[in-house]
Amino acid sequence: MNQWEVFVMDMAELAEGKDLALSIRTLNTGRHKYTYKHVRCMVSADLDKHPDRLQVRMGRGQLSAARFSIQVIEEIRRLPAKYA
Amino acid sequence: MSKISAPRSNREFVEACVRHGDAVRIKQEVDWENEAGAIVRRACELGAPAPFMESIKDYPGFSYFGAPLSTYRRMAISLGMDPESSLPEIGAEYLKRTNSEPIAPVVIDRKDAPCKENILKGTDVDLCKLPVPLVHDGDGGRYVGTWHAVVTKHPVRGDVNWGMYRQMMFDGRTMSGAVFPFSDLGKQLSEYYLPRGEAAPFATAIGLSPLAAMAACAPSPIPEPELVGMLSGEPARLVKCETNDLEVPADAEIIIEGVICPDYKVEEGPFGEYTGYRTSPRDFRVTFRVDCITYRNNATMTISNMGVPQDEGQLLRSFSLGLELEKLLRSQGIPITGVYMHPRSTHHMMIVGVKPTYSGIAQQIGQLAFGSKLGPWFHMVMVVDDQTDIYNWDEVYHAFCTRCHPENGIHIYRNTTGTPLYPFATPHERKYSIGSKVVFDCLWPVDWDKINDVPTLVSFKNVYPKDIQERVLSNWVAYGYPPVK
Repeated sequence: MNQWEVFVMDMAELAEGKDLALSIRTLNTGRHKYTYKHVRCMVSADLDKHPDRLQVRMGRGQLSAARFSIQVIEEIRRLPAKYA
Repeated sequence: MSKISAPRSNREFVEACVRHGDAVRIKQEVDWENEAGAIVRRACELGAPAPFMESIKDYPGFSYFGAPLSTYRRMAISLGMDPESSLPEIGAEYLKRTNSEPIAPVVIDRKDAPCKENILKGTDVDLCKLPVPLVHDGDGGRYVGTWHAVVTKHPVRGDVNWGMYRQMMFDGRTMSGAVFPFSDLGKQLSEYYLPRGEAAPFATAIGLSPLAAMAACAPSPIPEPELVGMLSGEPARLVKCETNDLEVPADAEIIIEGVICPDYKVEEGPFGEYTGYRTSPRDFRVTFRVDCITYRNNATMTISNMGVPQDEGQLLRSFSLGLELEKLLRSQGIPITGVYMHPRSTHHMMIVGVKPTYSGIAQQIGQLAFGSKLGPWFHMVMVVDDQTDIYNWDEVYHAFCTRCHPENGIHIYRNTTGTPLYPFATPHERKYSIGSKVVFDCLWPVDWDKINDVPTLVSFKNVYPKDIQERVLSNWVAYGYPPVK
């Protein structure tokens, strides 16, 4: 199971049952901890619904008590081709 | 210029600090995740020696040097001065050196540059190979650049800029950073690169000599490579980058090369800031794509941990802002006695001493200060007379509380330039860098009669005859008091 974290300004950004585009960072142990991916995903407050776990921080770093499960559908490449 | 024996690299600086008792070597393993940051933060809050952490979890061969310039003692060491030097002495030395002739840098061969001992290009590039720390718990990411220089060059004018723009590791090849629109780099991006959609070459230099870091932090009009030469008394040693035409300090510990993508932004922050708060929220900010990393063997990453006073951001920025304003005011013929910015104001309040020879002088000082390039970084100017010791907060505070007229002495300027980091600013003001400013005029009005209108200061040194003062001072211990230091 992978552990992820997301920053939001409002918990409404984590709507359940919708296809979301989020920048999430890995909390898995190791040198790549805290690096980001931009992904399409689904989240749920039901911790058993999706395979990975997601914890949430607010805009100034406050850790939320809310926990989610998350399904990463695919990684999204946002970087314009001219910079790739 | 007389010979200056200032540390020429971060390594020489660490050794000098250890020798003077101003740095401690930490041998036990330290975690890059929070622990290193917490050590640096506590050292800042205690005014303790700088931590040199020689063993980093997951990163054998690397080390950290934290809080490099968070005390005036270490600032004196960086300038090659006696650590016991007073602040006015350090300031006078800074002014003397930075008013001297510019010293152009020299560009050395790549094979002679220590920063080229290890080179990562292509698929080898991965910022996670560097011990990038998580400085504060809850930060938006691991921060590559907290005490460093982002090197850029204007593509037409050729102006070189070294600036300390914080940089967060987004992924192994991407950093995001806070670049304010009124900064040199911000203006360069909005003026040239953004309209064209062109990538802007950059290089981030980490583990600089302390005087190179001082130059990168100083809001001086002198190009930073020359300023380093003036501060150190000899040419700065630069070397060409591997992937672009920029020149970087050859003795730096780590160099990260790449391009800024002006029309593509990624999330950055939040981050513990110099005001002592996390004020600016997570937002989409400037993107740096990394093409190459070079570093010295056993490289040291420098860490500044910003937060409540006092760290080097507050101390050095206050120092250089104050002295650069002093230069500006003197260049305009204002009869000032000095300028001081207390680091504990988190470089928000400028204290100016002046001989009040004409009306409106406090407002003139405020307008010059706020209207200059320095202006966005502070929002309060307090003007006191030439009898008030600007370095003595007790005297300044007394002048403020007793001479600043609540109606006539407070002058407010609205809709000026501000920073998104002002904790007191509204969310709207932060978003658009809108500021407001205030001058506290603590001068007796010049149209008051000096005999009949101006109150007499009642203090030991002001109301007693000299012979009485000398008698009391010479007998102080005989009266039964302990000696005054």
